[in-house]
Amino acid sequence: MLAVVAGGLFARRALFLTRLVRRGKPNAQPADVPLRVRNEVEIVLGQRKLLQRLVPGLMHAFIFWGFIVLFPTIVLAAIDVAGGHVTPWEWYRILTDVFACLVLAGVVTAFFIRKVLRPARFEGSHLGEADLILTLIALVVITLLLWHHVGGVGFAWAHLVVIAAFLAYLPHSKHLHIATAAVNVWLARTRRRGRLEPLRFDVPDDQMRFGAATIFDLTRKEVLDGFSCTECGRCQDACPAYATGKILSPKLLIMGIRDQVFAQSDAPIVGNGVPEQSIWDCVTCGACVEACPVSIEHIDHIVDLRRSRVMVDSAFPKEAEPMLRDVERAANPWGKPQTERAAWAESLGVRVLEPGDPAPEYLYWVGCAASFDERAKKSAESTAKLLQRAGVDFAILGPREACTGDPARRMGNEYVFQAYAEQNVSTLNEQGVTKIVASCPHCLNTLANEYGDFGGSYEVLHHTELLAELVDDGRLQPAAGTQSITYHDSCYLARHNDVRVQPRKLLNVIGQPVEMKRSGKKTFCCGAGGAHMWMEETGTQINIERANEAAATGAETLAVACPFCTVMLDDGVRETGAELRVADVSTLLAESLE
Amino acid sequence: MSTVLLFVEPDDELSLQALTLAQRLGDVRAVSIEGAYQPSAWAAALSAEPADAIVAAGSDRGNELLAHVAARLDQPFAANVTAIDGEVVTRIRWGGSLLEEARLRGAPKVLTVAPHTQPAAAAIATETLAVPDDGSPRVLETVSEAAGGVSLRDAKVVVSGGRGVGSSESFDIIEELAGLLGGAVGCSRVVTSAGWRPHTDQVGQTGTKISADLYVACGISGATQHIAGAKGAKKILAINTDPEAPIFASADYAVIGDLHEVVPAISAELRKVRGS
Repeated sequence: MLAVVAGGLFARRALFLTRLVRRGKPNAQPADVPLRVRNEVEIVLGQRKLLQRLVPGLMHAFIFWGFIVLFPTIVLAAIDVAGGHVTPWEWYRILTDVFACLVLAGVVTAFFIRKVLRPARFEGSHLGEADLILTLIALVVITLLLWHHVGGVGFAWAHLVVIAAFLAYLPHSKHLHIATAAVNVWLARTRRRGRLEPLRFDVPDDQMRFGAATIFDLTRKEVLDGFSCTECGRCQDACPAYATGKILSPKLLIMGIRDQVFAQSDAPIVGNGVPEQSIWDCVTCGACVEACPVSIEHIDHIVDLRRSRVMVDSAFPKEAEPMLRDVERAANPWGKPQTERAAWAESLGVRVLEPGDPAPEYLYWVGCAASFDERAKKSAESTAKLLQRAGVDFAILGPREACTGDPARRMGNEYVFQAYAEQNVSTLNEQGVTKIVASCPHCLNTLANEYGDFGGSYEVLHHTELLAELVDDGRLQPAAGTQSITYHDSCYLARHNDVRVQPRKLLNVIGQPVEMKRSGKKTFCCGAGGAHMWMEETGTQINIERANEAAATGAETLAVACPFCTVMLDDGVRETGAELRVADVSTLLAESLE
Repeated sequence: MSTVLLFVEPDDELSLQALTLAQRLGDVRAVSIEGAYQPSAWAAALSAEPADAIVAAGSDRGNELLAHVAARLDQPFAANVTAIDGEVVTRIRWGGSLLEEARLRGAPKVLTVAPHTQPAAAAIATETLAVPDDGSPRVLETVSEAAGGVSLRDAKVVVSGGRGVGSSESFDIIEELAGLLGGAVGCSRVVTSAGWRPHTDQVGQTGTKISADLYVACGISGATQHIAGAKGAKKILAINTDPEAPIFASADYAVIGDLHEVVPAISAELRKVRGS
């Protein structure tokens, strides 16, 4: 009877939730089964992402592992209640006792964190719900221990009643993640993490999707993301926009979308579940995605909401309009003449690829910033000189290199992005390019991860990767130096594309590296990503926060590997008046060879 | 033949262009409205007139007014139309980069005509529609953007200050020079971030793009986003203590020196030459 009521309540809700997910737009079929299995083992069973924070991680792991071990006790209790009796193996009884205690320890720790430490990441989360769930968990194991050690069918009954209550309540609460997290992890990206799913404009009208305006435009994964959120706030804690007082909280964004899904509201998401400003605050740095223990992919939500605002409503921050117009008309975000794109390379004698020329070993993809921006140009000049010195066969496209479309795409303007994707892929393919070295991590991400969807498949390296290879091979022999250098990881390099070792390898040779607290995969954005290079920032500026962090290391030099980071952090350093020189890794390497 | 109600503004080239397209749709009845602009009331008056199509120029006013009309009549609205063939309209989207073919099935059809896509027609007789004031919001007065001064966008001379100016008080010398040259004061992003000047003064890609004959950049390093707003200037004079400043790459004239000395010296010289 108990099982029927609890099971019925659970099943009814589960059916409703499944219907909501199935109503979502289908995602691409997941391939990569071995990698997905690995994610399940690491992220779900191994609790890898939770354990990024040791104490809360262990707290959760104890409860999670405890539940797996304790699961069979439900059957044993049920048999007991039914009048039968099974004596489990002695080792299993001991194991259940140990894990029951670990779960209790986990619950106590959780209450300590929530009631005493009260970390800021819980701001805006449903705290009462968490208390109720933790209490239920405690009661589950307490009744189990009493049943084991005091004995009597009464405690077995109590154990089952608590479990039934838990089961009935579970799918109505944020604790639903027990059922959905594993599925969500399975469906998450396995590789090419910086890639955005392209919109298809070649399908019949009724299947065409312009991002997400209402919950009925969400993909299944996006709906499931909402169901998987436990409101733990790790994303909020990692978010550079939130940290500098912007409206955006990735946690509240996902919660807002989820609440609207539950309400089955056909109102626009932006302006209802999600404040308009918050979708424009995002720098697409991916810190939230990296931090999320259940593999929620926040950037997809934000870009989908932007796509709808930009392509359907034509509503976006006004100051970004000139950039979008310039990308569209001038093929670079500053509206500079394309004929000047190779001007920086003239005095260096860099080969500019003409149609019909034989392909070089490496095409050097300079990018708009390093082609046109006075400060970023230095990195292109250094890289070219280093490649020449090492005898690498390379060439640039010059005026035929166009913006990759990245800033337009991240702003939500998929039309413009796809036009450039097709144009650049056709130029690269006609030239027979197979290997590309890129100076800009945003270009690199697009070339390596996104052009594949448009028929462009290349081996793409960042200049720090190629330079490290040349140093390894002895083709470049830098002199050891003593300057102390702190390295700022670019989000699109370190997080979206896993390039963290090579730039450090180079800096290790030419100076004395000191790390900032937030480095590697946990790097803190410079503030320029997601087209923010061309938007105004309110309140505390992200680049100033980061410049202060770099200055606090006491280093003389702040090394960067991205033209946007160069400009943003150089501005930040000037603003704070810190005694720091901002320079690209390639420039520092070139200087060590002089 | 169907009746086309055309909203025209007096002495307006765009209205005559709209007339060209309207005449292709049917018999045009041109109406204008006098008095203070009152979108809701004007739209109510236009909506009440019998017509198979309601047309206006794709100006800010025409687009706003017909959007009100369409909302009142609960009909679809096609803005910035370049051509119409039956129910298929071609309209401009995306600031002119995209031409969209759409089906306009409203009754009446509500549309505005994209500016400068039609030749102007010869003016026809226009009747004036009487519109009673219904108490809805109306325009009481029109104030130009830079009241009393010269607007940044149109100024012939722009004198701009950057981080090097140092404080909002120190903008005195920038204002003085701008005043002497009959120009407008501009600034870089750093200055608006620091709150020394309002955002309306910002020259740059995310601020105002200027088209002056002379741009004087004082203590501005010249970030690419700033240059993108200043490149419309015919000549750029840069004053900066740092000879490595990127602004010099775009400048026609360079003064390597402290703006706090150089700018007052220029002002003093100007006064001397003018004998004031």
